[in-house]
Amino acid sequence: METQTHKAHRPAQSGSKAEKKGKGKQKTGFNEKAFAPKSGRRADRQARRNVERDQARLHVPLINRTPDDNPPPVIVAIVGPPGVGKTTLLKSLVRRYSKQTLSETKGPITVVAGKKRRLTFIECNNDLNSMVDIGKVADLVLLMIDGSYGFEMESFEFLNILQAHGFPKVIGVLTHLDLVKKQATLKATKKLLKKRFWNEIYQGAKLFYLSGVLNGRYPDTEILNLSRFISVMKFRPLIFRNCHPYLLADRIEDLTPREEIRKSKGRCDRTVTLYGYLRGTNLRQSTKVHIPGVGDMNIKTVAMLGDPCPLPDADSEKRRKLSEKKKLLVHAPMSDVGGVMYDKDAVWINVPGSFTRGVTDVPQGEGEQMVIDLQDVNETLEDTVARSKIRLFGSSSHPLTIDARRDDEESSDLADESDSEGNSEFDEEEEGFSEDEQDDAESDEEDEQPCRDPINGNAGRYAVRTTVRPTYGLSSKEKDTGDVAFADSDSELGLSDDEGNGEGGQVMYADNEKGIPSDDERDVDDEDEDEDDAPAWKSGLAAKASAAFEALNRQRRRKDWIAMIYSSSLSPEQVINGTDTTAVESDVIDDDFFRVDSSTSMNEDNLDMTKEVQSSSALRELEDEDVLDSLRTLFITGDHDTSGGADQEMNIHEDSEPGDLTKLEAGEAQFASAEFEGIDTETRALVEGYRPGTYVRIELASVPCEFIEHFDPHYPIIIGGLLPAEERMGYLQVRIKRHRWFARTLKTNDPLIFSLGWRRFQSVPIYSLDDHSIRMRMLKYTPEHMHCFASFYGPVALPNTGFCAFNALSGETAAFRVSATGVVLNIDRSTKIVKKLKLTGVPFKIFKNTAFIRDMFSSPLEVAKFEGASIRTVSGIRGQVKKALNKPEGAFRATFEDKVLMSDIVFLRAWYSIQPRKFYNPVTSLLLSNKSHWSGMRLTGQIRREEGLKTPLAVNSAYKPIERPARRFNALKVPKKLQSALPYASKPKLMKPQGKRTYMQTRAVVLEPEEKKAIALLQQIRALRKDQVARRRGKQQERKETHRKKVEKDEAKKAEKEREKKKEYMKAAGMKSKREADIEEGRSSKRRKT
Amino acid sequence: MRTGSLVNFSGHQYLRQRLVLSIISGKHVRIEKIRSEDKNPGLRDYEVSLLRLLEKVTNGTVIEISVTGTAVLLKPGVVFGGPVTHDCPLSRSIGYFLEPLIMIAPFSKKPFQLTLRGITTDDSDLSADLIRTVTLPHLQLFGISDGLELRIKKRGAPPEGGGEVQFICPVVKEVKTLNFVEPGRIKRIRGIAHSVRVNPQFSNRMIEASRSVLNRFIPDIYLYSDVYKGDESGKSPGYALSLLAESTTSAIHCSEAVSKPGETPEDIALLATRALLSEIRHGGCVDRKHQSLVLLMMVLGSEDIGRCRMGEPSVRTIQFLRDIKIFFGTVFNIAPADQSDPSNVELLYSCLGTGYVNVNRTLA
Repeated sequence: METQTHKAHRPAQSGSKAEKKGKGKQKTGFNEKAFAPKSGRRADRQARRNVERDQARLHVPLINRTPDDNPPPVIVAIVGPPGVGKTTLLKSLVRRYSKQTLSETKGPITVVAGKKRRLTFIECNNDLNSMVDIGKVADLVLLMIDGSYGFEMESFEFLNILQAHGFPKVIGVLTHLDLVKKQATLKATKKLLKKRFWNEIYQGAKLFYLSGVLNGRYPDTEILNLSRFISVMKFRPLIFRNCHPYLLADRIEDLTPREEIRKSKGRCDRTVTLYGYLRGTNLRQSTKVHIPGVGDMNIKTVAMLGDPCPLPDADSEKRRKLSEKKKLLVHAPMSDVGGVMYDKDAVWINVPGSFTRGVTDVPQGEGEQMVIDLQDVNETLEDTVARSKIRLFGSSSHPLTIDARRDDEESSDLADESDSEGNSEFDEEEEGFSEDEQDDAESDEEDEQPCRDPINGNAGRYAVRTTVRPTYGLSSKEKDTGDVAFADSDSELGLSDDEGNGEGGQVMYADNEKGIPSDDERDVDDEDEDEDDAPAWKSGLAAKASAAFEALNRQRRRKDWIAMIYSSSLSPEQVINGTDTTAVESDVIDDDFFRVDSSTSMNEDNLDMTKEVQSSSALRELEDEDVLDSLRTLFITGDHDTSGGADQEMNIHEDSEPGDLTKLEAGEAQFASAEFEGIDTETRALVEGYRPGTYVRIELASVPCEFIEHFDPHYPIIIGGLLPAEERMGYLQVRIKRHRWFARTLKTNDPLIFSLGWRRFQSVPIYSLDDHSIRMRMLKYTPEHMHCFASFYGPVALPNTGFCAFNALSGETAAFRVSATGVVLNIDRSTKIVKKLKLTGVPFKIFKNTAFIRDMFSSPLEVAKFEGASIRTVSGIRGQVKKALNKPEGAFRATFEDKVLMSDIVFLRAWYSIQPRKFYNPVTSLLLSNKSHWSGMRLTGQIRREEGLKTPLAVNSAYKPIERPARRFNALKVPKKLQSALPYASKPKLMKPQGKRTYMQTRAVVLEPEEKKAIALLQQIRALRKDQVARRRGKQQERKETHRKKVEKDEAKKAEKEREKKKEYMKAAGMKSKREADIEEGRSSKRRKT
Repeated sequence: MRTGSLVNFSGHQYLRQRLVLSIISGKHVRIEKIRSEDKNPGLRDYEVSLLRLLEKVTNGTVIEISVTGTAVLLKPGVVFGGPVTHDCPLSRSIGYFLEPLIMIAPFSKKPFQLTLRGITTDDSDLSADLIRTVTLPHLQLFGISDGLELRIKKRGAPPEGGGEVQFICPVVKEVKTLNFVEPGRIKRIRGIAHSVRVNPQFSNRMIEASRSVLNRFIPDIYLYSDVYKGDESGKSPGYALSLLAESTTSAIHCSEAVSKPGETPEDIALLATRALLSEIRHGGCVDRKHQSLVLLMMVLGSEDIGRCRMGEPSVRTIQFLRDIKIFFGTVFNIAPADQSDPSNVELLYSCLGTGYVNVNRTLA
């Protein structure tokens, strides 16, 4: 039989059959019957469940105040325990967006991610303070978890912090998965971690897996996927952030005059500018701000700057993809991007290529040579200034003598005027420092030109760039030391630097002003227009109304109300009556005497009254029939000259009135921007403040010098705007619950560190519970598993603001540090917490139901205060305080419902009101050199422990055996005569045991011989039995012994195995820590390289 | 951190609005040179009484008055509310005290139940009638409505007074943003002609006289005659006519005239009527006497743009705008309401609200 080859079946790809097939499949995919409810009850339940689910999905609509056209960059925080790969991820992401490899990542890094999205990446270090601050501003958190190790305590703490301050979006990132060798283990680990992560965030939260590190980065495809997720992420507005302006500073500058710093040896308060994108709501200049870790500040000035990292604009919008050039934008002033780094007091340009010594392949011209030789300068500026001899040219023999200061001032001009002169032959040894600095900057700039262009292209940055300070192309370590030396000694240099700064600012302002038509100009324009227009509409209206009214109108029309009200010194009356400015001036010129006089005379009739005195002429005008007729149009019965019609208008009004919530969510910001379209930028900033999304420079005066001195770019600087209410202090009542993972209970009057609003502060709470709605009763400790109230003194926060609390912020404890979470309920200037107070006394004289009590009060006055108060004895007899007695001081008469005993203790239950201590201690962590070691108020016990002191023990507090003499009651004696007269039942009975021995007890017993025999036999039998039992026991002992030996052997074997296992684990852990150390080292070695 | 934001003013004028702004914003305020040049220097009795009243309705307020009474320092506390009774001096009417309290009442911890005794109607301040019929509807624009009430228990005419009103105000979390740009047309006119301890016919005479002017404009006119008798009529005789005109968009304009010796009820009625027409002619969506109230509530609105069309600012309003800038930093954009029509003198006031939230409100 031949094997027949069959043609393989090929299902039809097209045609009716294929269509049918497809349809059929779809049909089988969803079987309607399968999901139909089987019974009415079930259908009902299903429907109910669906409705409930829908309801749960609904949320209160929040107005999104982020502008749609130019939103601020999304803050993406990278959080995780040390060594988990945060920096690597940050570098990979920045590389993905900007095609640049950062050598160092410090501070926020802003990149353009898409047509409408910019991202600010910030790495969060392992300090709890940083985690708290980051949690308050981050829009998206990349929570990194070491897959080979699992969750660490910090991650959980961070999640709890997030929960307290409005939960931003969280994406989990699992790293170090390449360390898990076995595939099965990997799968199990992933599953386990995912489950835990979902428990913490929500079911289905996104968790990414990053496999391994390639070239110091994560694999490009995985990063690409992650970046795609980030770019489509949608954000729900968070309430707190939606009603506060805030800013994550990405650059900081110290503007304090160097001379002042020198004079005060660096101890003076500083003037600091902070730069960043505004977020949240509009920022007004009058807003007070809080910088977490520093304190409350007043804004000195706010200036809008050019966007250093702008979104792609209209022309690139047409293209579907971002051009490569746009992609390169990265703004990271604190890291060195493209060799430019912004420090607190300088801008560093790192140029590894051309001016590095020992690079022979770069052709070295005269200029380059000169710059390289500059690195050999080993004298400070002070020395050169002291000598102050400058030869203009290398060849010139006579040194010039120039005033060094003037030189500094003019240096910039000089350089500007003649480039060639600047670049020409200076003697490297003796030239003025500022010149060469300028020169260096110049040449740097030239050199930088091609590579900078993509980085920026706007005036703001250019202007700043003029303040450039040289880095001498040395390795970073040397550069650092150089920095220190300069910062310490060269006050002169600082000065010139500052001047440069100021100039930079000026350039910027000039630019701004060019862009904005100035107020004056506008006014003039306005007036001109009016003048031009006037004849035209005057002639048009002349026919209608009287010329006088016209003139009045015109005058009114011309009024620039904003200017007159807000920026003139005219009195309100003058504003209204339209006094000409000239007239006012003449008024001012007039003697002061007269002005005072007039004002006082005005005072007399000018009461503070709401009703205005109607001028009789205005009212008389209304007697005229024509005037009355002209008013007809204002009534619905009058003729409608406008086609609009009142009804229609009313509809519009009603439309907007109930507040269509979806509409609200859509675009309130657009509405706002349209409203103020016409007015110039300055007034606009005055009216609406600075809008979120703008890049601003905020100048703060009198900032503590430690903020600058101990500045560390690894710690985030947040400027949080405060609402007017939040500037005040008061007593806050909060609902609080001890965190269930926090090991100890919390005690009243123990200091607690709160993170509330923008602030972190230490305060002393008193815990309380509502006692049957009658009183707030103090609790000594927080209850277990239950909310309670806490009251403490501190800065006011809006009710419903969440907070979390810590006992200590330092990272030394291994335990969970979030000690409590809660929400603000109430703000007040006083609290109503009471604690129970029992006053005790003893009776010293007892009448029927009356007794005299002493030892409860110390004076009749006190008694008078408590007259009528209810008292009670320990045995439960209730009574009342009546009146004070004369004799023993503080004794009183009291009545009871029954006769009390002399041995009774009488007590009065009173409620003593307590106030929380007025203690508020802001956590000023950013002012410390060691930022993670802030220590606030400590507990007495803690201090004693740290100081090695013993707890003093009062003699009276020592426990001694208490001697309580037994109470002796006299026996009841009933006289014999009476006894005999009593009935039997009432007669005292003899209840004592019999004392005499009875006959049965006293008689002797003698045994018979048979009995003796029997007893002897029994004894023998017992002895035998005893022996038998003893032998059996011995044998059992032996058996047990052998068994024990066997078990011991097994145990030893098991222990051996266990030890092996432990050894293996420790080996892995050791390798991990070594790897971390390697990473650390790798970082520093990299730094050294650049 | 301290609440060191102290605001300084000098002069006795605009005392009320400054105290109100201080209490709402929480900024300390020092007012100096109060009638220091006057023959009778220092605070007047009604001003001291107002300070006392403010102390009563707040918790933790510190008021320091200098020995001469020419300087006041106010450290505002928390607006507490609750049941408060206050006897107003007879030098000013109840309106003097009620106007500032209406501004702060919505932001208290507990609903206000304020009982004021004194003069209910006089020449200088809003009468109890106007507050009830005009001021309170203005508050309703901002979402302060449920339970907002003013009960006139007794009327009291100057000089002896003897009136009593009860003001009940609910507590709000935040006020709504106002967007009121359509003044509409007047659709109805209402009025109250009240008389105490005089011939009840007086009120009818006032109504008659007023109608003689108003009837030509609109048919929907109801002028109520309100005669209080016996204990409820206070201690002095008097009568007054308060009028209000409501537009299709429920913009309200009002006027009032109070009896004066030597003037007939007809004169009073005509005075009130013409004042109303003049007020209507002024235009805008808000009555001139209520400009500051509306502007304050706009400033306190959520952080969106509030807009309102009004007539020219009054003297008080201008100072109020300046004071608002000092206390809240908010500046209004004031532009002509109708750019195309040059004869239109109405102005459009717009501002970005400060997002004021009633911190005093309790959650628990």
